[in-house]
Amino acid sequence: MTMKVTMRIRRFDPEKDAKPYWAEYTLEAVDPTDRVLDLLHQVRGRFDGSLAFRRSCAHGVCGSDAMRINGVNRLACKVLVNTIVKGDEGKIQVEPLLGLPVIKDLVVDMEPFFENYRSVMPYFVNDEPPPARERIQTPEQRTRFDDPTKCILCAACTTSCPSFWANGTYVGPAAIVQAHRFIFDSRDRAARDRLAVLSQENGVWRCRTIFNCTTACPRDIKVTQVIAEVKNAISRGRAD
Amino acid sequence: MKGLLTTVRELFRYRGQEGQLAWMGHRLSGLGTVLFFTFHVIDTSWAFFWPEGYVHALKLYKHPLFLLGEMVLVLAVLYHAINGLRVVLMDFFPELWQYQRRLTIGGFVLVGLLYTPAFLIMGAHMLQGLDIL
Repeated sequence: MTMKVTMRIRRFDPEKDAKPYWAEYTLEAVDPTDRVLDLLHQVRGRFDGSLAFRRSCAHGVCGSDAMRINGVNRLACKVLVNTIVKGDEGKIQVEPLLGLPVIKDLVVDMEPFFENYRSVMPYFVNDEPPPARERIQTPEQRTRFDDPTKCILCAACTTSCPSFWANGTYVGPAAIVQAHRFIFDSRDRAARDRLAVLSQENGVWRCRTIFNCTTACPRDIKVTQVIAEVKNAISRGRAD
Repeated sequence: MKGLLTTVRELFRYRGQEGQLAWMGHRLSGLGTVLFFTFHVIDTSWAFFWPEGYVHALKLYKHPLFLLGEMVLVLAVLYHAINGLRVVLMDFFPELWQYQRRLTIGGFVLVGLLYTPAFLIMGAHMLQGLDIL
């Protein structure tokens, strides 16, 4: 059985268009188990080769094809058509992530996102002389920061956050998740520095506990919980 | 300003769930309450600076439209308080994230339950003012 799907895509080419517009492309024989990414490829192959979108692994690992699909941030490679279109016919609306400048069509400039990411020192810091073998860590210590290690930096969480839409200088959920991964790592020694960054005006306190980030995360990271744990660490003045 | 307009517009376009709805209600109720307090401080100050204006304002507040406004105000204060407590709870106890949907909906229900008596009493008062009851 196949489906008829109309793809409604937000298009914008800065070299040709004065402002973004909606374009519709009807695909007649869509397999219900196709992914939205497959449909975007079909549109580009059959209708308009100039349609721009990012993709790399196409298997939910690289995080490059995050976009707003039917009003919610998702990875195009993880959304099956039959989960969002019921029956034999339907429409799928696709638009770029909100809050980041659009370069072309569905491609956004990720630099502001990565600038926020870099501000939280997302790397291991420990100037103590390394032991003869590895730095020992118990399974419980490792579990403490397990959830945030799943982040693929797709920006689906950050660009689903109304606080980020209103103020692009807010570090955003993804940067806080990355900070959490190191703040609660027993081997790391820069937790205080990261907490200092996150306690500033554009740090964690801009989070309003809306939970859009948690529902948008394609890796099922408990983002709002992670942010609340960082808030508590700042309140206590320590990470433990 | 552009960010604010974008946020307001996209709040109606982004399909967030009950958390987004709760936050929108929180902002609206908070702004509404602040607006009321601003007017209230001004009109109360008239008791000293402009007594005739104050008496006139008190008469005006008995108008059914203002009584309706009072009913909305009670709802806004109630909702803002209960939803605020929920957010505080979620922030202090992050592990509650798994119950956030139930807590949010529970908050809506609690507001409804607590508001019902106020709604009935104030509503009856307003209808009496309209000579309907």
